[in-house]
Amino acid sequence: MVERNEIELKLQEANRRQLLQGKIDRREFLSRSMVAGLGLAGVGVASKYGVGPAYAAEGRPLTPTFYDWIEGLHPGIPGVNERFPGINYQIAPVQGFGIERFVAESKKSDSTWDVYVGQTPFVEMTSLIEADVIEPWDNYIPADVIDDIIPSIREECSVNGKLYNWPFLLDVVGMGWHSGVTNKAGLVDSAPATWDEFLDGANTIKESGAAPFGATFDAHGWRSVAPLAHSRSSDVYTPEGLFDFTSDAAVEALVLMKKIMQTSNPDILLSGASDGGVNGTPDEVAFSTQRVGYYVKYFNAPLRMAQYWDDPKQLHMGPLPKFSGGEGSTVFWTTGCALFKHGQNKEKAAEYIKSLTYDRQIWKDSIAGTETAHVGQLPPYSSIYKEWGETKPDWMLPFVGLVRGQLDRAKAIDNHLFGLSQFQIGQPFWEAFLKGEESDPRVAMQNVTDAVRAEMNRG
Amino acid sequence: MDRGAEIIIPRSVGTAREPKIRQSISAWIFLIPALTFFVCYQVYPIFRIVWISFTDFEFLSTEPANWIGFGNYIEAYNDPLMWKSMGRAALFTVMFLPGTIIFPLILAILVDRVRHPLLATVYRLILLVPALIPSTLVFVLWKWMYNYQIGPINYMLVEVFNIFTYYNAPQWLGGTNLTLPSIAIMEIWWGLGYHAIFFLAGLASIPRDMLEAARLDGANEWRVFWHITLPRLAPIMMILVVLRFGTSMAVIDEYLIFGGFNRGAPTYTWTVYMYDQAFNIGLWRQGFAAAVGMIGAAVMVFFVAGLVYIFRPRG
Repeated sequence: MVERNEIELKLQEANRRQLLQGKIDRREFLSRSMVAGLGLAGVGVASKYGVGPAYAAEGRPLTPTFYDWIEGLHPGIPGVNERFPGINYQIAPVQGFGIERFVAESKKSDSTWDVYVGQTPFVEMTSLIEADVIEPWDNYIPADVIDDIIPSIREECSVNGKLYNWPFLLDVVGMGWHSGVTNKAGLVDSAPATWDEFLDGANTIKESGAAPFGATFDAHGWRSVAPLAHSRSSDVYTPEGLFDFTSDAAVEALVLMKKIMQTSNPDILLSGASDGGVNGTPDEVAFSTQRVGYYVKYFNAPLRMAQYWDDPKQLHMGPLPKFSGGEGSTVFWTTGCALFKHGQNKEKAAEYIKSLTYDRQIWKDSIAGTETAHVGQLPPYSSIYKEWGETKPDWMLPFVGLVRGQLDRAKAIDNHLFGLSQFQIGQPFWEAFLKGEESDPRVAMQNVTDAVRAEMNRG
Repeated sequence: MDRGAEIIIPRSVGTAREPKIRQSISAWIFLIPALTFFVCYQVYPIFRIVWISFTDFEFLSTEPANWIGFGNYIEAYNDPLMWKSMGRAALFTVMFLPGTIIFPLILAILVDRVRHPLLATVYRLILLVPALIPSTLVFVLWKWMYNYQIGPINYMLVEVFNIFTYYNAPQWLGGTNLTLPSIAIMEIWWGLGYHAIFFLAGLASIPRDMLEAARLDGANEWRVFWHITLPRLAPIMMILVVLRFGTSMAVIDEYLIFGGFNRGAPTYTWTVYMYDQAFNIGLWRQGFAAAVGMIGAAVMVFFVAGLVYIFRPRG
């Protein structure tokens, strides 16, 4: 009975749309509605007289699927959904970046969903392209939107000139500090310009007893080795797109990590509490419990952790420090939207994603925070920053300009099938140096390269 | 020979066979649902995995899989990481298995001695509480308990007893030498009551008069336990050992949650390696992962056979 009612409802909705679009006249609309209202018996008649094809032509409603953390951190999304009546909004079965369901459906030339919101280019985009699961947005995204995407982000989201990721949420790696801790340690309340200053400050914090630990970072390679190497030089990728672990910048980054670790929480190398150890990491615990002064991570992490402080206003953020003579770059990535090759409603999906990614309420909530979250993720469009530059909203926070400024110098991790897993494969080898099991950082990094190569050569 | 006799003999044979055939057909008809389920749900996946293990099947590849014979098996056999990860699983099993038998056995014997009916029931219910907690909650609970910085265990060690500081306190999870024992303790706690109930069922089946007779003959409690109780519990022990050996060698959820994909971590066992190859690395080499799985399964079957032999009921 429920199914029959649903079919009747969909038929009536399809009729209503066709009437509004001028495809049928009022007389036809009334006749079809009457036929559809006959229930299942009427469906057969409806098919015979053209209502069935009308319904089929409409197909299913727009069906986006989101990685669940996005919904949790951005409470404005339901507001966007309200502008798309009938939308079938879903949460994706992708815990821990698992894309197997998408691939399995694609092998049968099928997709339950039309668009996936939660794709990070260097993490899973290449895999989804290789498996023929997604297609480029180029045929559906309006030209003015493409032109509006900040160039470095557009480059990150493109493969062979095609845009496979419609960017949504921007994250840039930088540093944050707890001014309550740094003031107590007698440090100047400003971001250290160089890594030497950073290390001096971290040591001062620890030795002064202002906090148990001086500095901390997230030990996952794409959040530590890569951004720290970029601060020396962003030219750390092989021609095929792998991270060059044996480059001078990468080796210097590793040595720097070891120096920072001397002031950090001892559990810094342990895995995190969720998403296969990737999230809920020890650095987050240290910073949220106000036990550390300096913090290196993508900007939304310190913002989220500071919510648990006695006074969240004691959080300050700045760019990553530089190596002397270094480039001063960092790492950024976007979390964006993938278009399923075998999905439906592709034009509608583009319309929805445009609406979603330009939604001012989402950006206001992300920057100014809500009762439930303060994410600090930023938009990927030039026009929005320009608009904020011309008329500064009263809720605007200083870190936005900082992140935007960093973006001009930041570089994304190159897209590659091993974009993420090269860091997972290599972690035990560079940790051998960090733990003192290997004394030479170059040997450790060579071992990383060898391990990644060996894995790639397997198949 | 008259005509009637000619007719009667075949008829008598026919009537004897027909019910048997009918019975046989009807038996097969009734068996069809169970057989279909068994073949589709149990047999087919195993054969499918065996077949995949002989191919170069990559899940993300759009190319068809090719038959490569024992290629994956040879590669897995020569892969140090596979054997290292298998060794880690064996190490965990050695830490976990004795505890999961001995502690529930002691607990069951203690609870079995409670004579007050209401108290006996309450104890049994309390024993089952951990087994009723969903796995996710158990993992969250113990992840918090073991947390280096904010966990209650380290809080006690650092703040209350001042045995350690926050610079040298034990790192229970996430890739240290303490990780596997910590997970084993969690697993033993989780299964304590559930396994004790198995032993309680076994203890209930031992005739009381047999125990009383032994005591009247002068046997002390240890001799009663060793010569009467323990042999009677051997079949239950065998079931538990075999079942828990299988699950402890093949643990994966806990390892993924507590250790992720860090190949240097003690939680990177052969099951995680298999998962890593099948769903994480490169084009997802599921042919190779299947071969790793088959080798792991073969090793487990070998040891299970040994355990069944050791714990076989005697006497």
